[in-house]
Amino acid sequence: MTPEPPMETSTGSSSPTQSRLTPPPASIVWGVAILGLALLLYLSRELVLLLLLATGLAYLLSPLVRLAESTAIRRDVAVTALFITLVVGLLVMSYFLLPRLRSEFNTLYAGLPSLTERLDAALDAVQKEIVAEYPVAQRLFPDREVRYERLNAFIERQTADLPNLVGHLATIALAAVLIPFISYFLLRDARKIIQFLMDRLPAPHIETSVAVSCEIERIIGRYLRGLALDGMVIGTSAALGLWILGVNYPLLLGAFSGLANVVPYLGPILGSAAAVLIALIQFKSLAPLAKVVMLYLVIKILDDVAIQPMTIGMSVHLHPVLLLASVIVGGHSFGLIGMIVAVPAVTVVQETTRLLLERRRYRAGLLDPHPRTRFPVQSYVC
Amino acid sequence: MAMLNWRPWATDHEQLNRLHLLEKVPLFTGLSRRQLGKLLVKLFEKNYHPGETIFLEGEPAKALFIVLHGRVSILHAGKEGVEQVATLTPGAYFGELALIDDLPRSATARADEHSTLLILYKSHFDELIEGHSTIAIRVMGNLLKALAGYVRAAHARRAGPPVTLADAPLPGDAIPTPTDRSR
Repeated sequence: MTPEPPMETSTGSSSPTQSRLTPPPASIVWGVAILGLALLLYLSRELVLLLLLATGLAYLLSPLVRLAESTAIRRDVAVTALFITLVVGLLVMSYFLLPRLRSEFNTLYAGLPSLTERLDAALDAVQKEIVAEYPVAQRLFPDREVRYERLNAFIERQTADLPNLVGHLATIALAAVLIPFISYFLLRDARKIIQFLMDRLPAPHIETSVAVSCEIERIIGRYLRGLALDGMVIGTSAALGLWILGVNYPLLLGAFSGLANVVPYLGPILGSAAAVLIALIQFKSLAPLAKVVMLYLVIKILDDVAIQPMTIGMSVHLHPVLLLASVIVGGHSFGLIGMIVAVPAVTVVQETTRLLLERRRYRAGLLDPHPRTRFPVQSYVC
Repeated sequence: MAMLNWRPWATDHEQLNRLHLLEKVPLFTGLSRRQLGKLLVKLFEKNYHPGETIFLEGEPAKALFIVLHGRVSILHAGKEGVEQVATLTPGAYFGELALIDDLPRSATARADEHSTLLILYKSHFDELIEGHSTIAIRVMGNLLKALAGYVRAAHARRAGPPVTLADAPLPGDAIPTPTDRSR
């Protein structure tokens, strides 16, 4: 009948003779364990990335599975039906969009060898236009030879990895098969995995564990679904805008802008830079360039003011400095994917730490047990 | 035609049983099957051994529990030691105050036998009622009725004989203060 005593949080004092047997403080054990885990994850980062992407896809699709589950439809049936629908949808979309995208890509790729010359000619035309309007600006531009050499070196640097991309195609194709495959099983067995973990968790930790699990699911789910939706809206708006402005490769540039948008800060810059580059080569004039820049500015403002609050919303509460730092560290450790997953990963760590510390402080009696007593309490109820 | 009747084949019977149980939980009275389905997918499930403590009095409260199988005792530390205030069977719920405020648990819960509980985390509940005003109104209404019933029962235990119209104060009489009335 007597409730269990609260867990010991301190290791307590020990006599000098017992000091050798005293285990290290729990914080050190946890610290070493976390460091070891981080090292293991870093060493097997390719597998981790694959699992992360598969988990991301599972999170994106989970609301649809839940919708089916809420009507008591078997989870395996719902997941299988969903994947079949997705494959059919992708095939139909490929049938209509792929030929157009492929022709745009082929034209772009065919023009790559003469890219330096065409870009140089375009820059020259724009430079002349500026100098004609403002002669004093002539001093700001380098000689044509110097500019050509710099441009050539820059393009060689940027396109040096392109032949390797073909070599990576096999890896990309394998990932394209493995990610949905793993994702299918993760989605199908998610309830069993959670049940397995829940039954093995000690009862005193269950509420905090459920809280942590719910917060992780809420943050990652909202962030990824919001990001996907945001990318689609941005990509479609950019493609439509570029098509109206008469810029070449609107579909390709729209798709690139939408995909690049998932990288915080850097993505929108990359997306607009690609469109500006294409418009520069195509029009060789300032006015259309300004229109493209304006288009991307308008899209960015609309994204920040209207689209993002509706899609990603308040799922991420990171300080801007921490957000930028996490993107940089993620980029250095895991490349492009690291930049994308850095923000939700750091948010999850932040929320988990907050919840665990809250419980610790509760147990240590440091937290005010009546934080909301400001609510007026009546001395009677009748 | 038999091929077209896919529903029985695709039905998750465990999930259906949970749905039937939720229909009987007083807190969710008045919710449609569809609304209960939305609630159902938010629930976690956990098995407890006999004698296992589910939560302790004074611990942070973050979830509501519903008894799916087994029996659960609610214990409260009083002046004369720990007393058992309730025994709960399938369909009953406890820890509901966690859905209302952030204050610590006011009692201890313990599994008396092998028990399976459904757990609804507060944030999930908040998320659900924020998006569905009908669910919010129904569940909060049920919760208020339960609390009102508890208050009335507590008053009845403490009060003397019922007050009749003859006992009512006449105009000009001193009106008792709220504190007096609560006694």
